[in-house]
Amino acid sequence: MLRKIFRRRHSGVAGLVLLVCLSVTFAPFLMGQTAGIGTLTGRVIDASGNAVANAIVTATSVDNGQTRSATTATDGAYKFDGLPPGNYRLKFEASGFKTLEIPSVTVSGTETAVLDEKLDAPEPTTKPTPAQQDNLPNAPSSSTTAPSLSDLGLSPEQTQGNPQEQALLDKRTHMLKIHQRMGLITTIPLIATVVTSLNAGGKNTSTTSRDLHTALGGLTGDLYFITAYYAIRAPRVPGTETRGPIRFHKVMAWIHGPGMIATPILGIMAFDQKNKGERVHGIAQAHGPVAIVTAGAFGAALLSVSVKF
Amino acid sequence: MNKKILIAFLLVTLPSFAGADGQWILQESTLTYHVSHPLHQSEGVSHAAKGKGVCHAGQCEFLIAVPVKSFDSGDSNRDLHMLQVTRGAEFPIVTVRTRLPESAAASATINTDLEVQFAGQTAQYKQVPFKLETRGGETHLTGTIPATLADFKIDPPSLLTMPVKNEIPVRVDMTWRPQ
Repeated sequence: MLRKIFRRRHSGVAGLVLLVCLSVTFAPFLMGQTAGIGTLTGRVIDASGNAVANAIVTATSVDNGQTRSATTATDGAYKFDGLPPGNYRLKFEASGFKTLEIPSVTVSGTETAVLDEKLDAPEPTTKPTPAQQDNLPNAPSSSTTAPSLSDLGLSPEQTQGNPQEQALLDKRTHMLKIHQRMGLITTIPLIATVVTSLNAGGKNTSTTSRDLHTALGGLTGDLYFITAYYAIRAPRVPGTETRGPIRFHKVMAWIHGPGMIATPILGIMAFDQKNKGERVHGIAQAHGPVAIVTAGAFGAALLSVSVKF
Repeated sequence: MNKKILIAFLLVTLPSFAGADGQWILQESTLTYHVSHPLHQSEGVSHAAKGKGVCHAGQCEFLIAVPVKSFDSGDSNRDLHMLQVTRGAEFPIVTVRTRLPESAAASATINTDLEVQFAGQTAQYKQVPFKLETRGGETHLTGTIPATLADFKIDPPSLLTMPVKNEIPVRVDMTWRPQ
């Protein structure tokens, strides 16, 4: 009878572990999946109908704040491929034109959204006139004697913007923000798992405590790997050397990462041995120490970016 | 022969008269922004500013430019985050323009109006005080620009879901040399 109960419990735990593993494996893919991929395209012209080249078109998702940028070609055309369906705020910026903002454009996953826009000449400047400027003796002026960026030896390459790099930075920040939030959320079940471990092991024979500990551990692992996914998949910025507390944060990841894989495996072994009425033995004894080192490294990683050393 | 000598004399002397208005060159600089976060304070420093002042009719027009990327806070992650929120890849240069009377170089303090272009926005700061010290032909200038994130429509960057304060004062320490 006892063996039957154990077997039933064992299959329940195995199911839970399987569920955790499946959700850990597939969660990132499910998160990346969308109902369809949309395209937004259009042409930017001036008041005379001429194409405006090199205008920067920025599409910001109203739903999640994610930003993409594109630059218009010589014919004024721009295109955003692979946009997740939703509402986007569009901004059109071009040198010598008034910035235009469109509050909402809907992109569907089935049809290409087309948005042609006309840019107007800038409004009369609110800068003080030369006569007014005389009243402000040291106000900056736009006189012809004023030095320019080229006078400072800055080349156009140094002064021109790079929308692609900005889009890369935007994506990186967006993913790392999710990484941070998920990391904070993960801390809650992690602490709860550590706390419930006090009643789950040792001479305690209560299966309820062990089940609770296992369930919390599974949830922690699930959330942890989602957290890790957003850090690992965040785009790297070429030519950036890692400096400062983030180095320690990354070193800690090499400890808590493998630890988060080893801890549940050892935990399953320990759980199995306890359920058979045995004392935890062999490599399964390492479950507790490995879990403590893992949780410690996770906490240190969190603190390293929170507190300035 | 005399005509040739006269032309040669004019060619030599005219450019020096044309340049008589004078120029100032930024010799060295330290620009430091200060950011306050509920968990800690941080600073980013740049020594990469370039500057020039062109004087004409007793007034000098100054332009200072500094790459956004050049600010170093000692933490590459924070620098990349700052670069992102300030749209530093799209608008890679911060420029500061001001106009001062030539006689200002002799003052111990000046109050000047600044026009700062940053993150695709332009902000005006009126009567910003600076201390001046002239030594060995060079003028050393120190002061703080009372910049805020809102001035440039920058969303405050956040760490662990807590945003930084709106104020990002920029300490200026520059040495100018007349040319």
